[in-house]
Amino acid sequence: MDARTRILSRIGHTLKERPKALLPEHPHSPPSANPLDLFLKRLAENGAEGHLLEEERARELIWELSQGHPGATYGRGVPASFRLLPQLPPEEAPLGVSWALFAVAETGTVALSSEDGRKAQLLPPVHLVLVEEGRIYPSLLEALLDLKALPSALGLHSGPSKSADIGQVMVKGVHGPGRLVVAVLQGSW
Amino acid sequence: MQAKAKLYPKEAARLLREKPGVREAVTGATLHFEEGRKKAYGEIDAEALRERAKRVKDHLLTHLDHYLELAEKRLRENGVQVHWAEDPLDAHRILREVAVRHGVKRAVKAKSMLTEELGVNPLLESLGVEVFETDLGEYLIQLLGEPPSHIVGPAIHLALSDIQRLFHQRFGTPLDAPPEALAAVARKVLRDAFLTAELGISGANFLVAETGTLVLMENEGNIRLSTSLPKVHVAFVGIEKLLPRLADLALFLPLTARAATGQRLSTYVSLIQGPAKEGEEGPEEVHVVLVDHGRTALLHDPEAWEVLRCLRCGACLNACPVFRQTGGHPYGYVYSGPIGAVLDPGLLGLEEAYPLPYASTLCGACYEACPVKIPIPKLLLTWRHRAVERGLAPTWEKGAMRVFQMVMENPALYRLFSKALRGLPLPQHLLPLLRAWTEGRGPLKPSPRPFHELWKELEEEDGR
Amino acid sequence: MRVALFITCLADQFYAEAGVAAVRLLRALGVEVDFPKGQTCCGQPAFNAGHWNEARALAQRTIDIFQEYPYVVLPSGSCASMVKNHYPELLPGDGEALGLSEKVYELSQFLVRVLGVEKLGNGLQGKKVAYHHGCHALRELGVREEPLRLLQNAGAEVLPWEAAEECCGFGGLFSVKLPEVSLAMADRKLSTLPQADVLTSTDAGCLLHLSGRMGKQGKNLRVVPLATLLWEAYAG
Repeated sequence: MDARTRILSRIGHTLKERPKALLPEHPHSPPSANPLDLFLKRLAENGAEGHLLEEERARELIWELSQGHPGATYGRGVPASFRLLPQLPPEEAPLGVSWALFAVAETGTVALSSEDGRKAQLLPPVHLVLVEEGRIYPSLLEALLDLKALPSALGLHSGPSKSADIGQVMVKGVHGPGRLVVAVLQGSW
Repeated sequence: MQAKAKLYPKEAARLLREKPGVREAVTGATLHFEEGRKKAYGEIDAEALRERAKRVKDHLLTHLDHYLELAEKRLRENGVQVHWAEDPLDAHRILREVAVRHGVKRAVKAKSMLTEELGVNPLLESLGVEVFETDLGEYLIQLLGEPPSHIVGPAIHLALSDIQRLFHQRFGTPLDAPPEALAAVARKVLRDAFLTAELGISGANFLVAETGTLVLMENEGNIRLSTSLPKVHVAFVGIEKLLPRLADLALFLPLTARAATGQRLSTYVSLIQGPAKEGEEGPEEVHVVLVDHGRTALLHDPEAWEVLRCLRCGACLNACPVFRQTGGHPYGYVYSGPIGAVLDPGLLGLEEAYPLPYASTLCGACYEACPVKIPIPKLLLTWRHRAVERGLAPTWEKGAMRVFQMVMENPALYRLFSKALRGLPLPQHLLPLLRAWTEGRGPLKPSPRPFHELWKELEEEDGR
Repeated sequence: MRVALFITCLADQFYAEAGVAAVRLLRALGVEVDFPKGQTCCGQPAFNAGHWNEARALAQRTIDIFQEYPYVVLPSGSCASMVKNHYPELLPGDGEALGLSEKVYELSQFLVRVLGVEKLGNGLQGKKVAYHHGCHALRELGVREEPLRLLQNAGAEVLPWEAAEECCGFGGLFSVKLPEVSLAMADRKLSTLPQADVLTSTDAGCLLHLSGRMGKQGKNLRVVPLATLLWEAYAG
């Protein structure tokens, strides 16, 4: 007998005698007000920056974030109109720009798919995430219930990389980006 | 990991005597975590959510065989290679095969308590693999050659000055380098490791059976990097870590974060389905090792099985005034504090872990903190009772208890004891106990007369 | 109304005045107090250490002694919780254990919840009181507000104390099995103690431990059981 069979048979043997516990239904989430305001508020509380922007302003933001730097690295889903700076390898780029799958208001979270890439989300010190206004879910539950297919990896990012492991002092940008900026794009894309 | 839980009383005393700085660092850090947790629980209907989380986990555990088979099926469909390990030897064999096949020279590790249990680092080192713990706290203790002292904050026992000294010796940074500078040094070393390692190793916070999704929580980004950059990712998952449905994460992710660090959600959550698709960045191979290592035996335990709900959030450690005095090292095993005191006897056997259930005043703060309502105080009592039944209590204690019962069952003897306390020589059995009391607290001073003697006067007072 | 006083062994031996105070207070409030003969210890030290046979024997005799009374009042939170919560666990299916469990109260809990007393008098006017929440009173019996209200309504200022709800480190046999940790806990608790006139708690064990530790460190602070202060609240 292999390990799998032995483990499963031990469990089966134990559970034969055990009363079964019922699985609770997911709670019904109350209809929520405009998730945008809550999203921006939570992002700020998480130490990230969030802005509601028109396309033109979003492009300006990329310029501002890249100030003095020669380029950026882009997620695959970032539309051509936002690729203003020359593409650099993610290992060297001072700025990573990603296109989010969705966002969650209650936790101040952007969800980033591996289909968009991974290095641009993690390696540069500054990470700009573009997300459509209509892709903000009020709650994590609504977002997960609505998720039809999962990419090979989905990253939920809710702020800058941080650690308090050194003497309980909060340090940003430990491994991932020390700055997370989210541009919520007005209208649909 | 070699367990040294038997030494707990001696080691706790020694640490307090020889390393007073640890107590200060641990108290500060845990009180900070605890304050965050209380605030975070205060924002939600914590009682209702804890109860719901408990029920989901109880459902999972009472249908564990079903969910394990479902998870395995889904993982395979997603292109993940699934392995089963009953014990560290199985786990080593699986990992060795992967490491050798890929010619691994460097491995980056995301913090995982299960890999501590299994002794993954020593195994890899024996294969000539350079292992980098990449969680900042875990990296610090790896440099020091110490085990973690807390489930979530492995280096909370270190003061800033300890780390400054360590980095000064190791990397030549100034002795007064600020935390930002020290973190930057570590970041540089570890960034290089991320970019060159062939193997990434992680544990898992959850494994969703419905979708075969591996879920990992963190704040630094090291787990995202460890599971994204190397070409192979091996995840060790305790079989109790499953969740039935993807949407259960909406309950468990925030609740775990609130309990662990007082956050609404940890900064990064990775939901991993499998290896990278054609043309995508990410690992070519993903392996999930489903690990038993004592968990099926715990599941079989009619009382202690409830500890398998544990999310490894560390909230009970932060809430525990006993843990706060020493941190986790004296407990002598991977899991310390209140959860260690009820989990370790199940994982190691009570004989190996005997003193741990006694490392508590039964104050109950752990139960209030636990996000899945594990009845830790009740289980501490259960393990204590079993220890006595199995004859593990020391001889003096058994003797003292017999005398105690004899005296308390017999009012005449009890009155005699009252008199003895006020002048006569005390029974020899009690002397070591008395000494342990008086050394730190001075002599016991009984009331001039016990209440039961005063009662007669009170009766008369009533009559007047 | 008739109640039985269960003094419990630690208070009997070390805080006899708490028993006297409890009796006088209850009588003053019109309660007839009985002190059943033969009572000793509730068995908690044995139970908590895992020696359940010994604890069971003591639980059984305690039940026999007290079961005829409509109410049993203890000036000790942890002993009250032992009878209330742990006797039924120790004696599963025992109707008498359950019966007694429903009739047991810690003193301040009895005053507020059963007698409906909110104000005892003005006897604590201007007194600065540090109140230590004994863990079992707090977390097993749910007694948090009752003692505070009774003290405050008698004019006492209950001082804010960040560690008021933290365990003092007594823990019964814990205090002698792991004395170093127990003392470190007391020191942490005491290091945050505000400038008070008096330190009080429902639990004799905690008070014995904390006052002993303070004595050893040369600190001089009046330490009395809650019952004593509540009597002062009434009688001035």
